[in-house]
Amino acid sequence: MKLYSKHHGIIEYQEEEVITFPKGLPGFEDLKKFILFTVEENNVFSMLHSIENTEIGLIVVSPFYVMDDYEFNLEDKEKDQLKIKREEEVLILSTVCVNNNVKKITTNLKAPIVINIKEHLGEQLILDKEKYLIKQPLLKEE
Amino acid sequence: MLVITRKKDESVLIGDDIEIIVVKIDDGSVKLAIKAPREVTILRKELYKEITEENKKSISIDSSILKNLK
Repeated sequence: MKLYSKHHGIIEYQEEEVITFPKGLPGFEDLKKFILFTVEENNVFSMLHSIENTEIGLIVVSPFYVMDDYEFNLEDKEKDQLKIKREEEVLILSTVCVNNNVKKITTNLKAPIVINIKEHLGEQLILDKEKYLIKQPLLKEE
Repeated sequence: MLVITRKKDESVLIGDDIEIIVVKIDDGSVKLAIKAPREVTILRKELYKEITEENKKSISIDSSILKNLK
């Protein structure tokens, strides 16, 4: 299959790679089907791209890249919805807000995207934790 | 939309298992207590809105900027 992304060229993918977000994502509630691929320019980052809207691709990164001890609890209802049975099935991603000034690039640790890589199901959660910021600087201050 | 007036310590029931109680009324703000099953998500709307905005800002048009991060 081919995705003709408006901004990122033609992306080849297999039908079985498609990740379903039954609730969509906040702001994109109508978009349910996404593919995930590594950003060519820098493989630390990935892109979660809609296959239903060729203009919508979100930059994502592992939250652990920003914070080693990042953690939150998955509630039973979330595990059920995503059919998660084992920890190894879980992939956690955070959205990245890119800026021309690298120091201003931020990642959203408040709303992790949880993906069951075995079942290809995903959901973006919103954490009720003060310590995780919506705009966490990507680079640690030196 | 249903609009109802409630006084302090009064409540509304929504469905079989959700209750919203007015705990305190104080100069322009109300404190609510919500009894609901664990699986019901309760969010302050502005937080959801902030996440919505942030997701929209994460849409990439040009990912070449990420090259400079290596």
